[in-house]
Amino acid sequence: MASASERSYTRRDTVMFLACLGLALIGLVSPDSWGLSIAAALRESVLAPLVWLQARAEEGRTSRNRLRTITSERDSASYLAQGIPSLLAENERLRQLLALSHRISTAYVAAEVLHQAQATDGRTLLLSVGARAGVSAFDPVVAPEGLIGMVLSVSERTSVVMTWAHPEFRVSAFTVSGNAAGVVAPFAGSAGAEGALEFRGVPYRDSVPVGTLVLSSGLGGVYPKGIPVGTVTGVIREQAGWERVYRLLPAANPGSAAHVLVLVAPSGDLARAFPSDSAIRAQRLDSIERVRLADSVAQAAREVREARARRADSLAAAAARKPSPRPVPAVPPEDSAR
Amino acid sequence: MIHARASRLQLAGVFLLLVVLHFYIRPRLWGPRVSPDFLFVGLMLYAMRSGPGAAALAGFLVGLTADALTPARFGAGALAHTVVAYLASWGRAVFFADNLLVNAAFVAVGLWVRDLLVLAVSGTGDRPLLAELAVYSPLQALTSALFALLVLVVFREWFSIRLDA
Repeated sequence: MASASERSYTRRDTVMFLACLGLALIGLVSPDSWGLSIAAALRESVLAPLVWLQARAEEGRTSRNRLRTITSERDSASYLAQGIPSLLAENERLRQLLALSHRISTAYVAAEVLHQAQATDGRTLLLSVGARAGVSAFDPVVAPEGLIGMVLSVSERTSVVMTWAHPEFRVSAFTVSGNAAGVVAPFAGSAGAEGALEFRGVPYRDSVPVGTLVLSSGLGGVYPKGIPVGTVTGVIREQAGWERVYRLLPAANPGSAAHVLVLVAPSGDLARAFPSDSAIRAQRLDSIERVRLADSVAQAAREVREARARRADSLAAAAARKPSPRPVPAVPPEDSAR
Repeated sequence: MIHARASRLQLAGVFLLLVVLHFYIRPRLWGPRVSPDFLFVGLMLYAMRSGPGAAALAGFLVGLTADALTPARFGAGALAHTVVAYLASWGRAVFFADNLLVNAAFVAVGLWVRDLLVLAVSGTGDRPLLAELAVYSPLQALTSALFALLVLVVFREWFSIRLDA
């Protein structure tokens, strides 16, 4: 038979468990805005030191990676453009190719992504910037590859992003050829690849070939026009002969994004900021070709200089070898009179 | 009494170390989906050495932290951590909680159940749920269990006590 103290101990445990369970359930059934407010308040108060610690860790990691990337870029550029006057221009060109931030014309805030251990990380992302950096709700978030999502809630130093993997994500989009428009949403079917998107509402008559790039259309006012959303990989279904739904391979992966850009004042067409892979490859080949050309010109100039130097050397040597004219002996005037 | 207080302080030091590892070292490790969940390891080690009520409260607080940092569905983390910590605390009465491998197994199974609850409560679709539970959760459970083993081996003397004794 259990003693009175054991019984009260068990009762106290049960009460505490039920209280915690009840609070968790209240959190679950309460409106989303309440949950986001509580989460923001916790991040700004009790959890602020922990978030700060993680932000420093992310910063250290990404800084190390960036330094490594920059060092390798610098090394390869130096290797390619050794002794060539176009080194500076070439470096600038490579930077323009690699850094999205140089290409985006609108205002943006760079942010570290603070990945969490929970299984739902990827649906929402925690960023290391908040209202203090100028971020506000509904700001679009992009990675160099394309669209990540939009800012869902903002606190002073952090913000939460709803990524394209979130069930409530929607973006108005069109194909890069301009022949089809629709709405992109997370893939919700029971068959097919995971982590995919679907391109809905495309009229049956507008067939979209596999491999077509789909961009945000700018309709709705949240996402600016021209951000890559994904690439068509096939047809998911056709509805009653009037609509086709296509499967998209997302352009950017929120699960592996380490740092992103928050567009704080999105406007205009951003398509030029996201050149396709083939365009980048073409530009790289072109730049390498330019370096080669500059190399050969420089080499030819060097050879000409060396040939001139050799000729000058040989002339100097020949001049040194040539015997000097014999001096005419001076004859005294009295000898010549004799 | 003094010895018990010292032991508690030592354990508090270990838990603080786990918190620092979670927020400062974990981001520097390999993929975030499979890196050990240091907070969860700390929670399980605590839950297995304390009463069910205290374990539930600790689980609720850890879950609230997770919800504040990953607000995909606020409350899901708190619910899952509360339930898992409470069950872990009861479970130590059934199993040999002083055995190293049992501790590690508790961590692994607990993490998998935690993920199952979080995903189910936050309304994840069938296929993502299956992929998560079949691939990422077991990997994270394995790394977390291995890390729990390491912690228990290193701090074996300190973890031999029960906090509610």
